Amino acid sequence: MARLIRTEKEVEGRYEEVWLVVEEDALEQWPAGPREIVGRPAIRLDGVERARGQAVYTADLKLPGMLHAAVLRSPYPRARVTKLDLAPALALPGVHAAIGPDELEQLSNDCEYEGAAIAAVCADTLAQSRTALRAIIVDYEVLDPLLDPDEAVARGALLGEPRARERGDYQRGLAEADVVVEAEYRTQVVLHNSMETHQSVVEWVGDSVEVHISTQYIWGIRDAVADGLGLPGDKVRVICHYMGGGFGSKNSPDDYTFIAAELAKRTARPVKCALTRREENTAAGNRNATIQRLTVGARSDGTLTALGGEFVNAVGWSGWSSSTEGPMQMLYACDNVKTTTYGAKLNLPPMKAFRAPGFVEGTFGLEALLDELAAKLDLDPLELRRRNHSEHATEGAEYSDKNLLECYRRAEPHWERRHEVRARSTETVKRGVGMASQIWYGGGGPPSYAWVRVGSDGRATVVTAMQDIGTGTRTAMAQIAAEELGIPLEDVTVSLGDSARGPFASISAGSSTTPSMGPAVRAAAADARRQIEEIAGQRELSPNTPLAEVVSVLEDAQILGKGARGPNPTGMQVLTFGVQVAEVAVDVQTGEVWVERIAAVHDVGRVINPLGASSQIEGGIIQGIGHTLSEERLHDPKTGRLLTTTLDAYKLPTIADVPEIVSELVDIPDAHLTNLGSKGLGEPPIIPTAAAIANAIRDATGADVRQLPITREEMLRALREAKERERHGAPAGVD
Amino acid sequence: MELLRASTSDDVEGTPLAGGTEVVPLLRAGLLTADTLVDIRGVVPRGIDGGRIGAGATLAELECDPEVPEALREACRLAASPQLRGMGTLAGNLLQATRCWYWRLDWPCRLHGGDECFARDGEHREHAIFANGYCASAHPSDVAAALLALDATVHTNRRELRLAELYRLPDEADRRTTTLEPGELILELDVPPADRSVYLKAMDRKRWSFPIVGVAAARRCDETRIALAGAAPIPWLLAGGLESATPLPGNAYKVEVATTLVNRAVAALNVV
Repeated sequence: MARLIRTEKEVEGRYEEVWLVVEEDALEQWPAGPREIVGRPAIRLDGVERARGQAVYTADLKLPGMLHAAVLRSPYPRARVTKLDLAPALALPGVHAAIGPDELEQLSNDCEYEGAAIAAVCADTLAQSRTALRAIIVDYEVLDPLLDPDEAVARGALLGEPRARERGDYQRGLAEADVVVEAEYRTQVVLHNSMETHQSVVEWVGDSVEVHISTQYIWGIRDAVADGLGLPGDKVRVICHYMGGGFGSKNSPDDYTFIAAELAKRTARPVKCALTRREENTAAGNRNATIQRLTVGARSDGTLTALGGEFVNAVGWSGWSSSTEGPMQMLYACDNVKTTTYGAKLNLPPMKAFRAPGFVEGTFGLEALLDELAAKLDLDPLELRRRNHSEHATEGAEYSDKNLLECYRRAEPHWERRHEVRARSTETVKRGVGMASQIWYGGGGPPSYAWVRVGSDGRATVVTAMQDIGTGTRTAMAQIAAEELGIPLEDVTVSLGDSARGPFASISAGSSTTPSMGPAVRAAAADARRQIEEIAGQRELSPNTPLAEVVSVLEDAQILGKGARGPNPTGMQVLTFGVQVAEVAVDVQTGEVWVERIAAVHDVGRVINPLGASSQIEGGIIQGIGHTLSEERLHDPKTGRLLTTTLDAYKLPTIADVPEIVSELVDIPDAHLTNLGSKGLGEPPIIPTAAAIANAIRDATGADVRQLPITREEMLRALREAKERERHGAPAGVD
Repeated sequence: MELLRASTSDDVEGTPLAGGTEVVPLLRAGLLTADTLVDIRGVVPRGIDGGRIGAGATLAELECDPEVPEALREACRLAASPQLRGMGTLAGNLLQATRCWYWRLDWPCRLHGGDECFARDGEHREHAIFANGYCASAHPSDVAAALLALDATVHTNRRELRLAELYRLPDEADRRTTTLEPGELILELDVPPADRSVYLKAMDRKRWSFPIVGVAAARRCDETRIALAGAAPIPWLLAGGLESATPLPGNAYKVEVATTLVNRAVAALNVV
């Protein structure tokens, strides 16, 4: 029976209330532990296609008659276009159309960040359209940009109101402390740099529009495009079968989709608008920089009495001020916590969600601060965390489940290695081990729907308008359906990536795809299974008759099971937890830092595909290593113009930078959460990596690194500071 | 744009193209304009014969040839990525342009004929610590530093010169960083044997990174030559010590890194 309910929905740490229709979520969870198919490693269903280059990405699409668009973007962080003449571009060979600021909402004469779209052209070839771009006559009045986050806060140039949160009495907590540690941490701007750049191919078919787009949310694109073009939703079809990376930056249609749509309309041809690598490094979003001024007070036994922080998110021109204070508010049992968070509005490209926005940055600050405290108190960092473990939620509803202590327990053998690791230090190369904890959301939620179709050949197809953004959800959904139906994995195919085929499915962001979609797929498979059991009963077959035999009489008829994601447990918050232990080496004469090993233990409920899960952990850690050691988007300090727009200047980690990675999952189903007890794992693995590395550096050298990335200059500065301190006779960790 | 194939090394008219790992990106970025590209792979020697090395040899060929002195082999091995080393040639590597982001983004800087060095007062953590008063760009070639330390001789289609003479510091009258004339091609290099040579490189990541600083050192009898990559607008022969460096506020760390690498390189030369 369908039920109409009102429930709370969380994405990337932001909550909203939604109405939804759900089917009864009556299935009992499977017992814990590996099943026939769920909980056992499965290679990706589409792995061979991807490896052979047969998988067709948006970037591979070549539709008949397709034109290529190019976008004129502001080279200045703040400028006014005083003159714009598209005629010379239109006169060039192969050029079909050009549009300017008065012709599309996404184009503007007022440029408030580098990369803001001003005009666009389309031509038969990409080379022709890029040549046409250079022919456009454009004059700018260049204005002074606002670039400094602290100055923006002082001037009141903010995105949203400052967020002040206090529980208990922070001042009293500080007064009760035996020791207080204060430190300022800074994190840099990092770029998603998806291998497949942001792009769309748009084609008008009658009064409908088809949008092929590299996206994390085909249904959201459908709604946003319909809204933007003034069309009913069912006149917009969105297709994304394969996706080359998004990491949070591909949730919305953005300027390029609307540019392609407008040019396609004008030319009556399909139009591709693909960002170049330089545009990807400029106009595709970023993880914003932060400044974190943090304080911790503790008793001499390590009990936290006060945590405080002023957080400045250097958001850019638009976006939102993410929850950088989240880890400080949520991770530890501390009665007195006070945070204030500012979102600085700057003439820099807008941030976008980037794999656990806010929590990656905030965990670096908080967990590095905790280790500075541990050093000052001469306490074992793991013991300090255990002493302040919060059995109950620090605020609001209770945890649906929490196994962080189990994560700590499983991390012990990795943590114990520190004696042996340190012993391998030499005069110039110091080695050490550090750890950091992780807290994040990842419970997913409704609405999400799926169908499971079973044919007379006994094969099943999962049909849903979700997307696989490269995380392997296609495979995980097939595993769930195969498990519930009791058929081999190879007998299940998954039809996804097309808003015109299959029911509504949720966004692939906020570590939500598996916990949102998995229960709907299981419910749909169970619905099909029940129908098949009824048929078996009517055919008077024994209950153990294989599914294929039961349905073999159906010929062309099919069984269709429908499933919906039920609500999250009321009065509970669903969170993920974990810990990482990093082993690093530091060349104390050259400032070189390299990571030798990272062990990760995460608690995300039931694991559907252990192989896919370990891939997620490895990917998160590798991206975290880049964030920690080498990646940084730089801009010219005077003009604010971006300097690192190519992959030689913006330094992603290479395979040579990847250490040994040991991933472990607690794999205890969350008994309160859905018919699976599964949470998401997309974001948790990147959260503690930076702090674990920074803490390992302290363990190795006694130096407090407080800024990301930990370049040679930051490492050498921290080493100098530590040496100064030693000279003055103070122990490590003391300011 | 047309592509021609050179039939003789005598007079190449147009922009020479060999591995293309530098020319093609520069063309795409609009930093180099050319009506004619001339494929010179048929006329530039590629073989390695003792100390004589064809300028068309790829870095990949050099890095695994036991006849090549260790500093040069190691400089090749630590340069770029395997794919780039498979295409990029020795001479092309010597003639590559700076990675200065202002220059690469076509800011009207002194190297581009303008009247300002934007890096000096701007973002310069990757920039020069020597000879950086006029232009703070850093020369990125690992290979050039190795050949400078090894005191290689360059044979072009017109003349013979020492490697140091291939480069010049840009100044107000002439912004070029090499002395190569239009139409002049590097054909071969003579690399005299050394008793011992090494190349040490500091990078922002383990691989595929231009040098923060690269240190090449070669010992021949009592003479030791040390050359730096990533330290000046051209490959830099270290006369005195690092004390004479003139770092900018944001790249003093390079002096510290270079000092350590020079000490380690010298120590490595003297290990029996």
